[in-house]
Amino acid sequence: MAKLTRRGFIGQTTASVATIGILATVPTLAATPEMTDVVASDTTAAELSATTFSESVVAHVSDLASGEITIMSGTKEIILRDADLVMRLLKAVR
Amino acid sequence: MSSHREAPEISKDPVADSTDLYAFVSPDQPDMVTIIANYVPLEEPAGGPNFYEFGDDVLYEIHIVNGIDVQHELTYQFRFQTTTANPNTFLYNTGPITSIKSPNWNRPQFYSVTRVDYNGNSTRLAKGLACPPCNIGPRSTPNYQTLAEQAIHKLPDGGRVFAGQRAEGFYVDLGSIFDLATLRPFENLHLIPSPAKPGVNGTEGYNVHSIAIQIPKTQLTSDGSNPTDPSKPNSIIGVYTSASRKKATVLQGNGQDVETGPWVEVSRLGEPLINEVIIPLGQKDFWNSQDPQGDSQFVNSYAHPELAALLPVLYPGTTFQNLGAFNTTNTPRADLEAILLTGVPAKVIPGFPGNYTGATQADFLRLNMAIPPSSSPSILGLLGGDIAGFPNGRRVFDDVVTIELRAIAGVTIPFVDTSFTPDGAASLVTDFNPPAIPKGVRYEKEFPYLGEPFSGYDSRPHENA
Repeated sequence: MAKLTRRGFIGQTTASVATIGILATVPTLAATPEMTDVVASDTTAAELSATTFSESVVAHVSDLASGEITIMSGTKEIILRDADLVMRLLKAVR
Repeated sequence: MSSHREAPEISKDPVADSTDLYAFVSPDQPDMVTIIANYVPLEEPAGGPNFYEFGDDVLYEIHIVNGIDVQHELTYQFRFQTTTANPNTFLYNTGPITSIKSPNWNRPQFYSVTRVDYNGNSTRLAKGLACPPCNIGPRSTPNYQTLAEQAIHKLPDGGRVFAGQRAEGFYVDLGSIFDLATLRPFENLHLIPSPAKPGVNGTEGYNVHSIAIQIPKTQLTSDGSNPTDPSKPNSIIGVYTSASRKKATVLQGNGQDVETGPWVEVSRLGEPLINEVIIPLGQKDFWNSQDPQGDSQFVNSYAHPELAALLPVLYPGTTFQNLGAFNTTNTPRADLEAILLTGVPAKVIPGFPGNYTGATQADFLRLNMAIPPSSSPSILGLLGGDIAGFPNGRRVFDDVVTIELRAIAGVTIPFVDTSFTPDGAASLVTDFNPPAIPKGVRYEKEFPYLGEPFSGYDSRPHENA
């Protein structure tokens, strides 16, 4: 992933519409940034409660065309590719 | 300025804006090296009631490389935490602050120091270290020197650390240089002339926030040896500072922000004036996001510096005719590339053992630690025959503006091209004539070497103008 400046990131977020505020739960993040293709998780929100994941999480749709989502929490970052999820998010903000 | 407000984005983020970096063998403790990284440019001392602080949401780092291995870094990390003792008052202090533990100080700031060694092993050296308050005035901070002394902390590895407000030590005629590169003592020769007059220190009376650390030399070499031989590669360190922010920020609309994600570098600084003068506007924000080990991508700006092209135009006629002729050959400025990007190899400058850190082009402030402090320092450093001064490291009083102006004007070209004769003006050009530390600039003889900050009550910025 190309290195982004802080302002660049904010600008890109605006341009691509689809930063998703704060999500309540996500799969546990990897310790180091990595490119990961992820299929839909079967884990439910109930299973990933606040007791298992308490940090704020921000997801950024970094590339609409490829369905790339950058998920950040703490000092970690992972990149998911899930075109279906991206499409659902776009529908939600229309 | 050295690196104050030097790029569009970081100029809007003062707490993360690195302004100056110093590295020198401590004159009063020559077994130690002092490194000072300044942040928060142009603090107007009376700027209350929310006086200046480090950013709790910023990761401040000082990075060091040793010898010709510039890929492995020794890093000192600084993280700050600020508390509000009494949220029900608008006051910075509710009475005189006579100690850094005074309950009258309403915004005490503390910090941790973490050392990440050349092998990547991390050790927290200290936490909960107190900063001093800002210098407010005789009623609020009646004995500021005591407060500052209380904020000098010993580190377990034998070093010392200080983080807090100090007087700006960098001096420059800011108002003239950014007015189409005029220099008041020589502006009768400028393309848009006016009578020559004395220089004006544009930073006079302002403060900065300093992170100063004094480190035993043996802690800086990658093998733990004591650098005593200036010809040995491990006697040389390269230093830069960086500030990073979390990659994502969400403004929640309730005064509480969420910041998350990996750290992203938003400011960096090695040699003075690089992003300020060498790097063009369209690349400045990008430059701040890059690590210096990748600086070969910016080499064209060093090889053909814009200011070197402007000098013969802005000072027409014979003033810079030799530089103008050199420019027409389109010959890369190998002298500047060496001084600023790799360090100077041995034997290039007579009497100077060098501070070369290998072929990798990187913006480091390079210091040959085996060169002892000068007993009679010259503010012109190497150009003044003082090998313990800039660009061999940088001391708080070094006149880096004059040194770099003269280098860009051509005085260092003969080190790599003996057929070139510098213009007479190249060895005279300066923003203060003759070069001198302007009146009102403060330093101290001991750690942290930068002077006591100007108080809000007493300060009269530019009173000597």
